[in-house]
This record gives sequence, C-alpha cells and structure tokens, in this order.
Amino acid sequence: MSSGVSLQDVRKSFGSVHALDGVSLEIESGELIALLGPSGCGKTTLLRSVAGLEQPDGGRILIGDRDVTGVPTRERPIGMVFQSYALFPNMTVRQNIAFPLTVRKRPTAEIKARSDEMLELVNLVPQAARYPNQISGGQAQRAALGRALAPAPDVLLLDEPLSALDALVRTRLRDEIRRVQQLVKTTAIYVTHDQSEAMAIADRVAVMNHGRVEQIAAPPELYETPATQFSATFVGSRNALELPVRDGRVSLGEAFSVPAPAGSSRAVVFFRPEDVEVGLNGVGLPATVEFKIFLGATSRLHLVTDSDGQEARFYADLPSRRAVALVPGARVSVRVEPTDVRAFPAGG
Amino acid sequence: MTTARVAPAPIARPRERRIGTRLFFLVAAIYFILPLVAVLIFTFAGRWTANILPDSYTLDWWKQAIGNPELVGSFSTSIVLATGTAILDILFVVPAAYWARVRNRRLRPIIELGAAIPFCLPYIVIAFGILQLSGIVVPGLQGTFLLLMLGHTAIAFPFVYWAVDAAMSAAGVERLSEAAEACGATPFQIVRRVIVPNITPGLVTGSILAFATSFGEFAMAQVVGRGLRTVPIWSAEALRSYISAPGTFNQLAVITFITFALLFVLSAIIVYWNRNQTLRLLPGAAAVAETERG
Amino acid sequence: MATTAPAEAGTVTAPARPRRASAQGWISRWLPALPLLVVIGGLLLAPALLLVVQSFVGTNGLTLDLWTRVLSSELNQQAILTSVVLGVACATIATIVGAPMAWLISRMFAKSRAGWLALLNVAANFGGIGLAFAYIAVLGTQGMITLGLQGLGIGFVPPRPSSFIGLLAAYSYTNIPLFVLLTIPAMGILRSEWWEAAQTASATRWQFWRMIGIPVLSPFIAGGWLLIFTWSIGIYGIAYGLAGGGGAAAISLITLQIGNILGTDVFGAGRAAVLAVLLMAMATASLIVYRWLLRRALRWL
Repeated sequence: MSSGVSLQDVRKSFGSVHALDGVSLEIESGELIALLGPSGCGKTTLLRSVAGLEQPDGGRILIGDRDVTGVPTRERPIGMVFQSYALFPNMTVRQNIAFPLTVRKRPTAEIKARSDEMLELVNLVPQAARYPNQISGGQAQRAALGRALAPAPDVLLLDEPLSALDALVRTRLRDEIRRVQQLVKTTAIYVTHDQSEAMAIADRVAVMNHGRVEQIAAPPELYETPATQFSATFVGSRNALELPVRDGRVSLGEAFSVPAPAGSSRAVVFFRPEDVEVGLNGVGLPATVEFKIFLGATSRLHLVTDSDGQEARFYADLPSRRAVALVPGARVSVRVEPTDVRAFPAGG
Repeated sequence: MTTARVAPAPIARPRERRIGTRLFFLVAAIYFILPLVAVLIFTFAGRWTANILPDSYTLDWWKQAIGNPELVGSFSTSIVLATGTAILDILFVVPAAYWARVRNRRLRPIIELGAAIPFCLPYIVIAFGILQLSGIVVPGLQGTFLLLMLGHTAIAFPFVYWAVDAAMSAAGVERLSEAAEACGATPFQIVRRVIVPNITPGLVTGSILAFATSFGEFAMAQVVGRGLRTVPIWSAEALRSYISAPGTFNQLAVITFITFALLFVLSAIIVYWNRNQTLRLLPGAAAVAETERG
Repeated sequence: MATTAPAEAGTVTAPARPRRASAQGWISRWLPALPLLVVIGGLLLAPALLLVVQSFVGTNGLTLDLWTRVLSSELNQQAILTSVVLGVACATIATIVGAPMAWLISRMFAKSRAGWLALLNVAANFGGIGLAFAYIAVLGTQGMITLGLQGLGIGFVPPRPSSFIGLLAAYSYTNIPLFVLLTIPAMGILRSEWWEAAQTASATRWQFWRMIGIPVLSPFIAGGWLLIFTWSIGIYGIAYGLAGGGGAAAISLITLQIGNILGTDVFGAGRAAVLAVLLMAMATASLIVYRWLLRRALRWL
C-alpha cells in the first residue's frame, strides 16, 4: 500500500549551517520524485529526515495521514536503498532480502514466498545463495532494492543509489529501478546530483540549493523553462552570457534580441547549444570556429564572436554530418530563436 | 579491502543509556587511576595507620630515592638499555620492512613468522632459551649488557615492525620508490630522503613501544642479564626486602611512580602521532588478509 | 630478465641487461634484511628450537625421561593446571569487560577517544614488578584501600597478593586495556550504514546485534580472548612480584616454576626446558586457532 508524503516547513541546522531552510513539498502516492542538487544542498538531509535518521529542528513530516515527525526509524513504513548498498555481509542475498520480514517475525512460509517474489522482481534468482562479497555492484544494489521493497513499504527512499557503480552498469540499473518502481507503484524519493539521471526516471524533479527547493516540475518542463538562474545552470548544459541591457532589451548582435528582465542594467542569458543555428549563408552574427569536439552523433563547436567590441564565447551542438566542413578557423554566422533564450537579471 | 576506519556515529541515545555508559566509564577511570594515585601517595606518606590517607606527609622518600646510588644506577641502566633497544630495532627493522615491500616479497612471511614468536613464547621462555644458547655459542657474552640489549631488541621488534609496516603501507612506499628510482636515486638515498621522512608516525610509535617494552621487562633482565640491575630488577629486590628495610618500600613507590609518569608521556606521544588513524598493536584483519593474498 | 626483440633491419635495439651472477643477485635481495633475520634466527628461533631439543635430551641421547619426570610431579601438575585456569579466567574477564568498552570507545568522538587510548596504553604497558607493587600499595595489608576501609570500621581483609584472586585482579589491570587496544580496530568493521539499514528494515537494537553485529564481530572478540589467554599463561614479572618469594601458600605457575628452577637448581635446565616447551606448545596452538579464526572472519568481508 503506497502513500503520499507531505513535508511541511522542515528545518534542520548543523551548527550554523542551515541544511534545510524551511522545505515544503507534497509528494503524490505512487510518484517517483527526484531530489536534485549539488553537494551540500540538503537533498540527502531531507531524505534522511523522511527516514527518521535525522531529526528536523522544525516542521512536520507526514507519510499518508500519519505524522511521523518524532517517530523512530524502525516504526516508519519505509524501505531504504543506500549509496554503498549496506548489505549485511554475514547473510546471503536471500537472507538480506528476507531480513525486514524476519525481524517482523513473519511466519517462515510467508518469508520464503515473499523473498522468492522479490528475487524474481529484481532478477537475482541465481544469486540467491551468494554472499555480498561474491556478487557485483549492480547485483548488490538490486539486492538492496529487493530488501527495501520486501516489507511492501509505503515509501521507498533511495540515496544516490547509482553513484558507486560503473558508468555502464549505472544506466542499466537506473532503468531497472524505474521499471520496478512502476511495477509496484510505491511512492519513491530519489536523491541524486546527476541531472540526466534525475530527468531520465523521475515523474517530477525538485531542484534544491542551499537547503531550499528552487523549482519542482516534470523533467521536460524543467529542461525547457527553468524558473531560476540556479535551475538554468544546473539542469541541462547551457550557454550563459552576461550582456548589457539597452532600451529594455538585451541582444547579442544579430544573433538574437530579447526583452530584458526588469530592474537591472545587465542580464544573464541562457540558451542551449542545440538551439544555436549555425549557417554559412551570412544570416545572423558572424562567428569563428575556435575548435570542434567530436561527441559521436553530435559535434560541439566552440565559437567566438565579436559584438559591440566585446568577445563572446559559447558552444553550438550540430549533427556531426553537418559539421564536417566546419574546421577551426572557419567563418560562420549564428542566430538563436528568441523563444529559446531565457534572460535573468545579472547578479541574481 | 577498505581499512577499518573508526567513524564515530553520533546516534541519539536514550538518556538512560547515556547515563549507564557514563557510569561505566567513571568506574573504569577510577579503577585505572586508583593504583597510580595510591603509589603517588605512598611516595609522600609518613606514618599511615587505618585511614584512607596517611597521617603525615614527608618528602624524605624522594630525597632518599634520588640519593640512593643503586636506585639511580638502575634507572640509568634501564634508560640506556631501552634507548639502545629502540635504536637497534629501528636500524634493523626499517631496511628489512622496506626491502620486504619493495624488492623481496618472500621476506614478508619470514618476518611475520619471527614476529609471532614473542607473542607465542613468554619472555621467560625466550630468555631461558637465549641463556642456554649463549652458553653453547658465545659464553663470553653471558651476563653482558650487549646480550640483554639484543634480547630486548628481539622481543620488541614485532611492535616496531607492525608500526613501521603500517606507516609504509599508508605512505605507499612502493610507488614512492618507483618514482624516486625513475629520478635516478640509489636505494640508500631513497630510504634516507624519501621513505624515512614519510613514515615518521611509524618510527615514533615503534621506537616508543620498543623503549617501553625494554624498560619494564623483567624476565629476560633476570635470566639473561644476570648481575645487571635494571629498574624492574631493583624493584623486585626492594619488594622482597620491604619487611627488613621499610624505607625501601617507599623508595620503590617513587621509582614506580616515575616509571608510570614516563609511560604516560610516551603514551600521549603515541596517541598524538596516531590521531588520524586507527592505532594497531597487532596485524589485525587487514594485514592478515594482505598476507593471505601474498 | 629482459628479452631482446628481434632486430629489424636498420633499427637499433637496446642491449639486453646483463644477467647478474646469481650469488650477487641473492645478496642484493636479502642483504638489507640480514641484521633483522640474524636477530630473529639467533635470538628467537634458535633458542626456541634448542629448548625443544633439550627437553628430549637425557644422559644417553634422546629420551622422554624429562617429560615423564616433570609431568608426574604433583607440584608441576598443580602449576600447569593453575596456569591454564588463571589464563582462562583472565581472558574471560578481559573479554566481558573489554568488549563493550572497546565498542563504546570506538564510537567516541576524537578527543575523548584519544584520552582513553592514552590511558589504556599506559595501563596496558604498566605491568611487571611495578604493577605488583601498585597492587600491594592498594590492596596489600598496608594498602590504601585496606587502610581506608579499616578506618571506616569495615574489617576488610584483602586477598593475599600471592593468591589466585590477587593475581587475577592484578593481571586484569593490564589485560583489560590490552584486550581493548587489540580489538578496537576490529570494531570499525561494523559500518554505521548497517545499523541504519537495519533500522529502515524495522529491526530493534537487540535484533541488529543478534543477527548482524555479534556474528560479524565475534571472530575478532574470540581472537582477543585467545590472545589474552596466550599472554596470561606466559606472564612472569607480575607473578614474581606478587608470589615469587615462595612460601607455603603461594600460588604455583608454570612461569614461576621455570624461574624457580633456573634460580636455584644448577642441574634443572632439562626440567625447565620441558616446562618451557609446554608453554610454547600451548601458545602455538592458541596462535594457530587465532589465525584460523581471522581467516574465517574474512570470508565475509
């Protein structure tokens, strides 16, 4: 049985550091929400507060209708997956998975049935009798997932579960986690610092910075329309240029011109590399290719332009086939559709 | 295999548990400090009848102790002996430990077997063995300072080896040596300029442990060092004679207290040098695993 | 040894490194360790072997004579039994008190941990005659606690220093700290994430310890027990200080017997050798079990 999670004005300080600065969040039953942000933004503290491993200084935490704010971890209806797997070394995979049921003193038959079910769910049946030091990282994390889900918790908590794994294993396991979560429809809170990971699997992403939630949105919306400068820099790779504001508009020569945000003489503009139109036909701002980086399907051009006597450097991503002729030193012209440019006041 | 680093987890404990813990440690602290306090009081005690504290105090015993040539002589003998043991151990162990890591892997199990012997065999047994062997091979050395010092070097070397080996492991001497060799240094230069400065905690800990072992060692001093007077030897005589020569008893308190103070300073130094890592007295799990893997 | 690549026309190949004469190679591999090896061989290994040999040497070559004589003597049997019982008692006390202490200290914050480690270091090294004297200073007939309690009107008769209880109390003073220092590193093996994971799985503290903590730590605790046992049966200094004077009611231990024979009996070398080899055998067996325990513990970690 899954429940929603409600976080109401949660605060936590370590000494003079405000790890959580009044976080309020409503998480719907069955959704997977990712907490995304750099180290120290408070995402892990928030997750551990829901788990009961940290005690907030203020605010309330509800799981379903139940206020669990002072309740010990042991009594909360949760399952948790740790970054380092935290599998018990003296137990087999099966015993690890069965552990939450064993400590609840469930009947033996039920334990066997349920652990069989979990082993099937995470594809670990052949490894059931192995010990943690005999299996790979990916298998260990799947076992940890099985253990967390075995007692059918209301909320599944995941603390950067993929960080300790090799890149190749990471993608596969990421999709595994999403598949399993959708199958059992358990509410899940997933902490990560990797924005592509967050956007690949989450129903919604909460971007956190300095103990606060900057923006919550579904991945496409977050990607297209970041609400704050921080979100813009953190999610997706973007070009960022600081430009002067003139007559209420901010522009980069003939490349683009957009209305300026109010109240500032300078603005920071963001636009994505793939939105930069590069042509050889002279339409737009003249630019020179400094160098080109081959990334497989796309190539990234490092461009330098001269606008109003000021140099500007940014990237443009093109399909590699189209970039074949664009060697370092080539002269091109660039423009960006105004709707693809977001402007924020500088210094904000 | 990750090294076992002790991570203090500030888990919120229920109040009763914390009080229980505090009480436990309070009792433990009293238990450990009490004998030392008692010894200290003995050094100042005058007349002492049925009371927890003496009836009168005096500085006499300290003056007598300092003026007692046998006592002072045994103290200086012990100091010289212990220092010599520490120096010899460092001189013997460091090259061997280094070579075992960098050049000759087969040295390691041999050294470790040797290091197990002083743990396996009580010092009295080793002392007895050395006595018998020296009688056959080098009778001229029997009862000499040199032989006793060599004996102490042998029984203290495991402590020195484990401390130095751990420090070498932490410093990554294999990689350092390779880098130094690539710069053209000779082994001697490498040890002197690169290795030794990087294993200082191990050198300090090891030499202190060797010193402490030698200073307080009784069995070998009695059996091998016949005729030599170290602090433990003098103390044992004083202990026997306390009925016939009451003042000696209090002088014994003085030297015991001085020994304790010395040990305390040395222990503080060891803990200070090892504050960033777990202090290992014995190989422990990690090193056993390393050995098993060869 | 460097192999030379087949020379291609026109290329210059580096000359192969000259093969060292094997004697020279042998020396360079062993030389720096030679002093230590001589010390180990000559002052540890050879004496031990000599004692083993001497325990089997009689007037007409190899014989079990000495062994039968020694083992049939009631005094020696008493000494052996007492040594073993004392060793077991010491190890058990050190484990019961030391294991929780090691756990709690390993969880402390750096400053208090350092303070305790320093105190334990002192106590662990404070053995021998000094400790025997300190025991008498506290619990002897003129000891501080004795006089203090008598002053309060309690007719306290302290255990005789040379009795079993006396030795046990004195040995424990060094044994408990020694146990703690030996097992603190092992405590770090219990990762805090395991406790957190157990909590999220709804385990109680006791369930955690029963199912995870104790199974993982028990080989190391047992290893500590064995080490203290081995150490205790071989203690000489403290025993001599408390009971070495002899006397009718004084305790008898293997180590004291050896010391006795060496001190008084010119022809006793053979019998002392037997006792020494007996100690060696017990200690070696103990160490073998210790290694086995550690290897078993590591199969999970």
